[in-house]
Amino acid sequence: MCADTVSSSGIDWTKTGVKGDTNFQTFGCNVFQESPPTPDRLTPDISFVRQVVSSGQLTAPNGARLRYWAFEDPANPVKTPYPSPLIRVREGQVVHVKLLTAKNQHTIHHHGIEPSTMNDGVGHVSFEVKNEYTYQWKPSNPGTYFYHCHRNTPLHFEMGMFGGLIVDPPEGPGYLYSSPVQNAPNQRYQVERLWVCDDMDIRWHNVIGQNHDAGQCGENVGMNRFEPQYFLINGVFNNYTLTDQKVAATARIGETVLIRLLNASYSILRVTFQTTVTCVSCDGHRLGKEAWNAPIVFPANTPIELTSAARLDFLFKATRPGVIGVKIEFLHWITRRVQDYGRGVAKTQIVVS
Amino acid sequence: MDRRDFIKIGAGATTVTLAAAAQQFITPQATPLAVVTPPPSPMSLSTLSTTVAERQLVIEPVEKEMIDGKMVYMVFYFLTTGQAQPPLRYREGDLVSISITNNDIVPHGFAITGIPQATIAAIPPGETRLVPSFAAPVGGSYLYHDPYDAPLNRILGLHGAFIVDPALGTTVAGSPTPFSRAMHTPQIAAVFDAFGRHPRFPGDSWKPQDPARDKLWLFSQTDSTINARAAAGVRISGQALIDAFLPDYFHINGLSGFDTAVHTSTASADLAAAEAIEPVGRQGQPTLLRVMNAGLCTHSAHIHGNHLFECTEPDASGVPYCETNVYERDVWIMRPMDRKDMLLPFERPPDIPVWPPKQEPFPLRYVMHCHTEMSQTAGGGNYPQGLVTHWKMTSPIYTF
Repeated sequence: MCADTVSSSGIDWTKTGVKGDTNFQTFGCNVFQESPPTPDRLTPDISFVRQVVSSGQLTAPNGARLRYWAFEDPANPVKTPYPSPLIRVREGQVVHVKLLTAKNQHTIHHHGIEPSTMNDGVGHVSFEVKNEYTYQWKPSNPGTYFYHCHRNTPLHFEMGMFGGLIVDPPEGPGYLYSSPVQNAPNQRYQVERLWVCDDMDIRWHNVIGQNHDAGQCGENVGMNRFEPQYFLINGVFNNYTLTDQKVAATARIGETVLIRLLNASYSILRVTFQTTVTCVSCDGHRLGKEAWNAPIVFPANTPIELTSAARLDFLFKATRPGVIGVKIEFLHWITRRVQDYGRGVAKTQIVVS
Repeated sequence: MDRRDFIKIGAGATTVTLAAAAQQFITPQATPLAVVTPPPSPMSLSTLSTTVAERQLVIEPVEKEMIDGKMVYMVFYFLTTGQAQPPLRYREGDLVSISITNNDIVPHGFAITGIPQATIAAIPPGETRLVPSFAAPVGGSYLYHDPYDAPLNRILGLHGAFIVDPALGTTVAGSPTPFSRAMHTPQIAAVFDAFGRHPRFPGDSWKPQDPARDKLWLFSQTDSTINARAAAGVRISGQALIDAFLPDYFHINGLSGFDTAVHTSTASADLAAAEAIEPVGRQGQPTLLRVMNAGLCTHSAHIHGNHLFECTEPDASGVPYCETNVYERDVWIMRPMDRKDMLLPFERPPDIPVWPPKQEPFPLRYVMHCHTEMSQTAGGGNYPQGLVTHWKMTSPIYTF
């Protein structure tokens, strides 16, 4: 250990991708693994803990059992949650997210949040967490994000290691952004849903997923082929998404509804709303904040596509009683056909009264 | 050959030796045409002259080494200098003159999306054809490819970037852009005018003459089984190919994973190509990324560290246009044959609490990868040896 490689925080940078020897091995098979202190650590305004668990099992409507992994919040009575529990913070807060990895190595990448390299959760340019690490960041753009493990990512993300992340403005939930102007456009909402859309290929969950490092050192485990048979929103199988209250929403006339849509699948999502919606934000950046963009109005039944990891936020006002249907189709990344011979569709609704 | 053994053997040698050894793995099976006039360096800006020396492209089948060491049959357009899949660069209004020689044993062709007159439907084996002469159109990014037996030959490797610099690219306020002024929208002008003026973007305007500020990311995918069958004379194309396509290698400018960026000790298989991919600069040096997808997958490109500005895309006829709503994205969709010019602002990563960092050293490094994660594999595993690279911020603009 050379003195000039160890920072005042006590981190030996040569044991990370920051100043370590980056070669073909550290890039993929033998990635840097450490449990360093957080550089430039501040006193947090809000803190979270995420404990890795790998014992999840979902029972599909057809009786099939699907293994999955998750980030658990030790303070939350819900064990092996799927998707992992929401992280909700406010613009300008110093956020700490402490990862406890259990027996294997993992990371957390706060997707769309743009912190320093050490806090970005990508092993080959920084490190994978051996035992524990506290990620630090301070969000500057209120919007919709998510977090996921970035080790052997094709597998760990597919196995369920992800959850929603919402940044509210300082005013808190109910507001999309701060404004000195009263009744600023597209600023308030009364009804909110985050739709985390996922697809599962049982081969990945029950066969490849038996090995946490599957494929990592060169074995062909067939992770270039993904043919999902199960389609979920917020952990609810598509057989039940139409009415399950984890997904479907109710609104009163006059209320403004905000739908935060996240594609956590490996399909192209094609979503259609049976009402006119306004896209107010994409990938956590508000449309209309700067001079070069503006909110987009999509007339009812316009197909809107988003690829894996993209987020779009939609706003509409409930104006008359009735049911507003929403259809989400999961399309194959090469053929663009609806997955699983046309069965890859999840429908839900917003009931206005 | 096992790729990891190859690297281990090469590690003791000089990087020059390693690069030379790696070059052997892109070797035309026949001797290319004799070099007549070396064409200008393809990524350098062309001169103001309106006539440009004829460029000669040669179609050759090759055996190319994948990132895991597997040798795969591919077919490339080569410059007579030996460069495969060369970017072709012109200035708007230049008279473009290109000849294509087909050294393969099956027919091939040539086309540029968005420039329909620049088409050769078929070149018989062993023959040379001239691309009908045309004037380089409005400034932007185009894709040339082989339309014969589509999309098979394109997938086998017959594609490359065709880049046009604008005759007049500045905004009315004088900011340089890579797009002809006639194409500009108020929103595109607002983005390019923001650099060096907007409080978010202290630093430089975009620098059109600096290759470090102008990058090509040409995505492609290879299905080694389809390629092997094509080499054996079993050729499928059209919808049958799309239905059968199961890619096992994923590339940026023909490189994958480790090879797409510059590393401390072990060199990429093609260091110059890696340097051409990896954006490097300090805060306040906005960089253009000409992103194209020559393959059959829809990619979900995702970048860490900064959101990107989505500046252009092609219309239904393939002609690029400037957006009237410039989204700031960390994920952008790249369908087959999409071309999107994205601007990486090199702004302060907005969610770092202490700026500049006191304990964490520069450079800050951030990955770009496709989030449809099957693309992060090579040969069915090997994460992250697929469509991934990273960019590097070397310093803040000011230190305190």
